[in-house]
Parts: sequence; structure tokens; C-alpha cells
Amino acid sequence: MSLTRSPAAAAALLGLACVAYAGCYSADAGQAPTAASADPPPAVGPAPLRRLSNVEYLNALRDLFPAPDLVLPPLPGDVPVAGFENAAEAQQASDVRVARYEAIANQYAEAVTARLVDVGALVGCADWATDELAAQCAEAFLTRTGRRVFRRPLTGAEKERFSTRFLAWRSAIDFSGAVQLTLSAMLQSPQFLYRAEPLPHDAAARAIVPVPPFALASRLSFFLWESTPDDTLLDAAELGHLQTDAELRAQAERMLRDPRARRTLWGFHRQWLGLDRILLDEHTQRTTEVDPAWTASTPGSAAKESQLFVENVLFQGGSFRDLFTSRRAWVNGDMARVYGLPAPADANAWTETTLPAGERAGLFTRAAFLAGFSHRGATSPPVRGNGIQLRLLCQLPVSPPPGVDLSQPAAAPNDGPKTNRALFEDRTRPAACQSCHTGLNGFGFGLEKYDAAGHFHTTESGLPIDARGTIHGTDVDGAFDGGVELSLALAGSAVVHHCATERLVRFALGRAPVDAEQSAVDALAKRFTESGGDLRALLLAVTTSSTFRMQRGEAP
Amino acid sequence: MSLRRRQLLQALGVGAASTLLKGSIARAGGTRAPPRVVLYVQPHGHLPRTWTMDVPGGPSDRVAERALVGLAPEEFSPTLRPLHPFRDRLLAIEGLSHTSALADIAAVMRTGGDLNNHQIGVADVLTGDRALQRQGTYCTGGARTIDQELAVRLAAPGRFDSRVYGSDYIPNSVVSPFSYLGAGKATPMVQDPRTAFADLLGYTPPKAAPTSRAELLRGMRGSVLDTAAREYELLAPQLGAEGRQKLEDHRALVRELEVSLGSLGAVPKCELTFDGSGHTVRQFMRLVRLAFACDLTRVVAFQAPVPQCPELGYPADATFHGYAHASIAGATSCGQTFTPTAEKAMIDLDVWHASHVAYLLQQLDSVVEGDGTLLDHTVVVWLTELATGTHEHNDAHVLLAGGCNGFFDTGRYVRYPRNQPNPLANKPRTGPAHNRLLVSLMQAMGQPDTTFGMTDAVAADGTPLSFRGPLTELLRRA
Repeated sequence: MSLTRSPAAAAALLGLACVAYAGCYSADAGQAPTAASADPPPAVGPAPLRRLSNVEYLNALRDLFPAPDLVLPPLPGDVPVAGFENAAEAQQASDVRVARYEAIANQYAEAVTARLVDVGALVGCADWATDELAAQCAEAFLTRTGRRVFRRPLTGAEKERFSTRFLAWRSAIDFSGAVQLTLSAMLQSPQFLYRAEPLPHDAAARAIVPVPPFALASRLSFFLWESTPDDTLLDAAELGHLQTDAELRAQAERMLRDPRARRTLWGFHRQWLGLDRILLDEHTQRTTEVDPAWTASTPGSAAKESQLFVENVLFQGGSFRDLFTSRRAWVNGDMARVYGLPAPADANAWTETTLPAGERAGLFTRAAFLAGFSHRGATSPPVRGNGIQLRLLCQLPVSPPPGVDLSQPAAAPNDGPKTNRALFEDRTRPAACQSCHTGLNGFGFGLEKYDAAGHFHTTESGLPIDARGTIHGTDVDGAFDGGVELSLALAGSAVVHHCATERLVRFALGRAPVDAEQSAVDALAKRFTESGGDLRALLLAVTTSSTFRMQRGEAP
Repeated sequence: MSLRRRQLLQALGVGAASTLLKGSIARAGGTRAPPRVVLYVQPHGHLPRTWTMDVPGGPSDRVAERALVGLAPEEFSPTLRPLHPFRDRLLAIEGLSHTSALADIAAVMRTGGDLNNHQIGVADVLTGDRALQRQGTYCTGGARTIDQELAVRLAAPGRFDSRVYGSDYIPNSVVSPFSYLGAGKATPMVQDPRTAFADLLGYTPPKAAPTSRAELLRGMRGSVLDTAAREYELLAPQLGAEGRQKLEDHRALVRELEVSLGSLGAVPKCELTFDGSGHTVRQFMRLVRLAFACDLTRVVAFQAPVPQCPELGYPADATFHGYAHASIAGATSCGQTFTPTAEKAMIDLDVWHASHVAYLLQQLDSVVEGDGTLLDHTVVVWLTELATGTHEHNDAHVLLAGGCNGFFDTGRYVRYPRNQPNPLANKPRTGPAHNRLLVSLMQAMGQPDTTFGMTDAVAADGTPLSFRGPLTELLRRA
């Protein structure tokens, strides 16, 4: 059972579980290969049809066709659920999306067949001058490029369909034209745009079966790379080398060493913690009182600083704990200024440095979070507190009751100066506010020494800033003073580790874990906590879990 | 669609320059022009004081109305004044209530869930229905919105079912978009006018008799789409119900695009040129004219932006959201005190939107179609997700313009009495539910519906509330 779930939510989930569970492991599942011996029932959920998220789609295209540098029309945004852009439940085709897929497919197909030498490389043939040779080369093209695009070998029927079209297009135009049009069609096909994991024909509805090898290869690559499998991974699937724990582990370890793993390390944390909130329009400006030197490029620098921190720390063997405690940083001129460091010789270059002790430690004391969860002219302790509760602790969202005043409080003209903290204390003093604001302010007040641009300061309007806060709703509840102490406390929290685990599983599956999977999530979280935040071990553990490797069929 | 392709098309003569758009539909044989709808949704509510107009001698317990046609500009309210030139085509409606949102709030207060007024407001305004409460995150639209329902009903090859344009309300924040394909599924919105134009251009047919290799390749666009569509047809049956539906939806859209390429050839040639001058809102308003004139869609939802404060001469550290809370004298937004600056800001914001709406009307009125103009055959609906800046859901004021082929009886200001009990306790009495406006719009667009979204609710005092039937006072009497 999750540490963070409220009793009401638990009851609601339990209710849900009864429905979801009925029949999912009953007599009709008896034919499933693993069901007969498994006891207790394996932690397995449904495998909804997943469309590639925009990030996954664009990564896949770039990985498949590294050469062309194309300016693509924007895709309609993915609809995030709990921050994650790959949620199957929110994916719905639309005319805009279909039109964009067509445009992008045409652009790519045209660009990568522009030169004959490129066509030869795609096809794996050099001579297609005669009808006979052209037919052979078409076959070679579908075998070679088809497997990479569809992430599995084409079936006989697929090959026949596409080669019929191919040869017709060749007659109408020419061989290169046929490659171009066939590739465009493949890039618009569901085999590329979606990740279907159909059950074997002989499996009963709701049966629990292993995810087939090529689908598992895709699960691995979209989880660990946010992109399509490479040839090595497809070869492993083809040879049946993704079956044992050791085999899966070996692949996953290889993939985590690949630079493409940086994408997931950043992509997961960006979506989970909202580290790209800083890129929203509202953050392109800061008032001159907050930061006269803030420019439209500062938010991009702040996001990039977070990205470099997360990627470098984790890719170089750092732990989840380091994300809360490390003072390592990669800064450019913009960020050096925000952190009060000497200006670098080259303002555009990113160089590694160490942030001042006592001021900074990890993500929650840095600009992307601190400014991204602030307003243009002032901090909002509740907004920061809510960011921590909702994202880092996986608490259910609370909304202000209807009609309350959500504006930024300001000191009355005759009152003399007040700190932002004092103004929020006044505003949220009523008992009705306190039920939520005790927790929200407890976190937010502790971060008040960071202003709305992320600068560290100790006085405000000539008054000393009180950054004492209190942690509520965790296993590390208690008082702290300032962001460094807060980060240190949260770094050791089992609730935080559980939340990270649950969100990582969500990210891996494109859906929230179902009730049958909760105990597995709990176990993963426990090991993650006990490992001191070994994120690499957690990623490996997820890939070898039954939740990841098995699937349950939908009701027909 | 790439810039390159657009240039290619223009080189092919598809986009020859023309300043005057000639209506392409009504010219084709004098048939009755089809109805169209534009929803212009403004965030943060209207300021009632400067939106409303007096109805001299009008009763307060019954529907009261006033003719607009004979009024001078200064007799119009400040907010509606920019629309004065179109007064014979306006139907100003005072006093509707987002009662379905109030009923939703009443229900969520009992069961628990996300009660953010913005979330509930955006979820309700075009659905007239309850928000979707989601596990572990904020609530969002809980049903298909009216623009998307009309899109489905009016779907035909050769045009987009609908176009959804605009700006993120508060991008990537807790607040969701206004238009939904279905519960929890936001309709993609095109935010860049140039891209929106490229989309419209993407529906133009390839040349009939290709001569170059590039044209030959382009001429195969339909067969490439057909190839892809067949893959959806073959894969879908192998999946469970949910996945099958997803693929079938996708397939239908691919087929639609494919069919469109061929069928547009039958439509009289229509000029497609892009004008990137002026405010983004105005660029979009011109695209609406273009899309309607070329019959590339009949339904547009526009999510109007919230300007940054300096754009309207207010300080950079202020926000219109902040002003909204303090904009009504005497109203308490839980402790928020009224400031004259906030009121002025919200008046300016309303007038800013009014001028954009007026620009849209001007655009539509510039296209001659049949016996009138495009505006006569369209209904433009200017509405807000929250009724007032103080985040209330009652006292919503809506402007209709255009009449939609004479369906609405325009040239009038109609005031509804606030005599219905509120679903929330200790809240003022309200006017009729805006669900009935949505019903009226469905009927204006030729649909037989007598309900939209929520059909009934119960007031806090136990009185049953009905949201059924159109607002008959708005309709032209037979």
C-alpha cells in the first residue's frame, strides 16, 4: 500500500480494483502460459494501445534517419496526465495530428531519398535497373528499412501489400520515387505511429501472457531512450535473447550506457517535476525589482541548467539522492549571475562549477524549480509548496475552495514593509485555509530565501527573511531551516522514493499502475529507498519486473 | 505543412493573389448557404457593469428586451460599443448562468475532488456538463464540447470537421483547454496562424495533369494515404475494444484527408493567401473568413489569449487574473478588495476582445455570399468560461452575432431575469442555464437536439431545475 494515499482514495481504489480484478485472473485465464503456476497472481495490468508521444516520435525519426536537419511543422501538443506526455488514456487522433504526420512523413521521405547514394543505403542494393532487380531491391528495402521503421520484421502479408504498392509507384514514377512514397506510407502507418501489442491468437481474453519479444524491445527502448530500438536490440529480439532476467538486464545495462539514455533521465524528471514550467510564457519576464537582468533567454538557460545537472549527475553514476544534495552545476553566464558566481569569460559556454555551500543543494534550490514555481514579481510559497506536494510527494491535488482570493498579497500602504512570508501568513490565517496551508506554507516558507528569479537573499525590504519551515505528510516530518535542509530531509524520505517509483512505472507503462500492481510498486520503492536512491538499479528492476514484461489482454 | 510546400503550391498557381474573396459556395447554383459557427471564448469572465445596457421600462421579473438598431454609439455600453456598426446583426444576452458548473460544484463538494473554478469553468463552458475528476491530478473536460459535437455531425469529405485555434490559457498549467473531443481528451489547438494557414492549404488538391517528377510524386499523395489507411483497417481488428477504437478514429481521419484531396477539385476555385500582419488574433480572424469562404470548415472554436499586461498599458508585474478578482465593487472575492485600477483593467480587457470580435464580424461581412454576406450565414458566439472576473458562474453575458441564416432574431438586447434558485446554498438566484444557449446553437446549425450536456439538476433548496429546450426568446418567430 502506498504511503501517501489517503484513506478515501484507498477506498476508491479498492472499489476500482474489484471491477478491474474480476475475471482478470480467473478460470478463463487458465490457458495463459504463466497463469497456472503463478501464486499469488502476478502484478500485471492492461497493455493499452500507445501512440508515440511527440518526443518519442521525433526522437525515433532522428534515430532512424540521422542525416537530414529538417524544419518540421509543430505537432499538436500531447495532453499530459500527472505531468506525463505519454499517457495512453489522453491520446486521441485529430485531423491536425493526421495532417502533421503526413507533412512530416513526406518531408522525411523526400529528404532521405534525395540522393541516389542515400536510396542505395536505405535499400541495401546498388542496382535496380531491371524489373527483376527492382523487385529484389524492393524486397530488400522492406526487409531492411521496414524492420527498423516497424520495430519488427514485416509479416509476409505486409511485405506483399507494400511491395505491390512499391512496384506500382515505380512504374508510375521511378525506383527512388517508389522508395520515397513507400517510406512516407510506412511513417504514417499504425505500425510506426502506435505501439500495438496484440495478444497471441490463442490467448484467452484477459489472459496474462509475456509481452512478445519485439514489443518488449520497443517497451525497453521507449522507456530507456524515449525512442525506437536500435539494430542490436532488434537482433536480440529476433534471436530470442530477451527472455531471461540476465538477458533483459544485459540489454538494459547496455542501453543505459548509451548516450540516448540521457533522454530518459532528463525526460522523466522534466515531466515528473515540471522542470520545464520555467519555459512558459509567463516566465519570459521578471519585474526589475526581482531581476533587472532577466531576459527572454534566461528561462531557457534555467531549463538547460537543470537538464545538464540531471543528465550529467545521473549518467555519470550519481544517485537519486544527488538530485537533492549535490552542489555540482553546469552554468552559463545567465545562470552564473542568478547563482551569484563570477561571470564566466564566455557567457554562452556551459562550464562545470560548484554552487555555494549553505545556499544550494540539488534541484529544489535551483532556478528552474524556484522561478518556474514563482510569479513574475514575487514568490508564492503555496505554489512552491503545491509543486512539492503534488509532484515530489504524489499527494492528491487540492484546489482552493470556490471564491477565495488567489491574488498576490501586498502590504497595505500604511502598514510599513512586510516580508512576503508575513503577507501570506496573514492571508492564510483563517482556520478554513489552514487545513491545506499548514502543509503548503510549511514547504513554501522554507524556500523564501530564494526570490522569484531564484536568487539567494537573506533580507527583503530591509527585513530579515525567516526561512524556517515544517515538513508535513511524509515519513520525515518536522522542522527545517531553508532549502538545503529541506532538500536533505526529502532526500531520505521513503515517501519521496515511493512517489518517484510510482511515477517511473507510470512513465514506463503509459498509464497509472492498477491495483494488482501496487504491491509490486511498493516492493520496487522499498528496494529503491534501501539502496539509497540507486536510480540505475531501479530502472533495471522495472525492466525485469512482471509489470513490464507481462501483459493482460483487454476484454474483447 | 512546410513552408516549402506552400511556396510550391503558390508557384503552381493555387494561391494567386487576390484582395477580394468571392464566396465559393452560394455562387454554385444559388443554393441556401450553409450555417457556420465561431465560438470566441474569452478567459477570466466579463465585467458586468460595463457590458450590460439599460432596458428602459423593462421588467426585472420577466424577460426584457431593447432594440439595438436605432441606438447611437454612445448609447451602447462601453464594452459593446466597438460592435455598434453591426448592431442590426447583434443579439446581446444578459443574465445567463453556467448552472451546470454550479451543479457540478455542488456535487463535487459532496464527494470531494478538484474544485478550482477555472478548471470547472473551462470544463463546463462548451460542454454544459460535469468536469472529469481524475486520479492524482486536476479535473478536466468531462464530455465532448459543442464545437466538436457539431464537427462530428457536419463532417463531410473535402473540409475539416472543425478548426480549433488560439492560445493556451495558462500554458501547461493546471488550467485545461476549452475544446474537448471527449472526456479528458483535449482537441488539438493550432496556436500559430502561419501553421493554421498551411493546414488549410494542405487540403488543396494536387494538379490534375502533372508534368514534372515533383508533381507526379505529389499526385501520389492520395495513394500514399490510402496505403496507410489500409494498414489501420487491417490492424484494428486485432486489438481490444479501446485500441480498436483509437485506430478506427485515426483511420477515418486519414481517409478523410485522402478523400478531401480529390473532392476539392469540384469546388469553384477559392483564393488562399496568407496575411501575417497585425495581432495574432486578427490573423486568426482572417483565417476564419478564409476557411468559411472556401468552405474548408464550418465550425471554428477560438480560445482567445490573455494578453500580457503591458500590451494594454498595465505594469509587467500585474496579471489580468489578479485584476479580475478585484474588479467588481461590492463583490467579495473572499477578502479581495475592489480597486478602481482592477476594474479599469478588466474594462479595457473586455473592450480589447470586443474590438477583435468586431474585426471578425467585419471580415465575415466582407465576403458576399448568396443574397447576403458570410456574416449573415454565420453565428459568432462571444462568451467566457467564468461568468465574471470575480470567478462566479452566474450572471454570464453572451454576445451572438450574425443570425445564422435568420435563425436568431438579431438587432436586440435581451435581459433574462435572475429568478431561478441556485444549485449552491447561499448563492444568488440565477438566470436560465447556458445549456439552453448550447441547445439553441445546435438547432441553429440544423440539429434536432433539445438538450445539450446536463439536462436537469436540483437547486440547493430542492427545486428541480430543467436545462431543456432552446432559449425561445432568442429565436426569430415563425
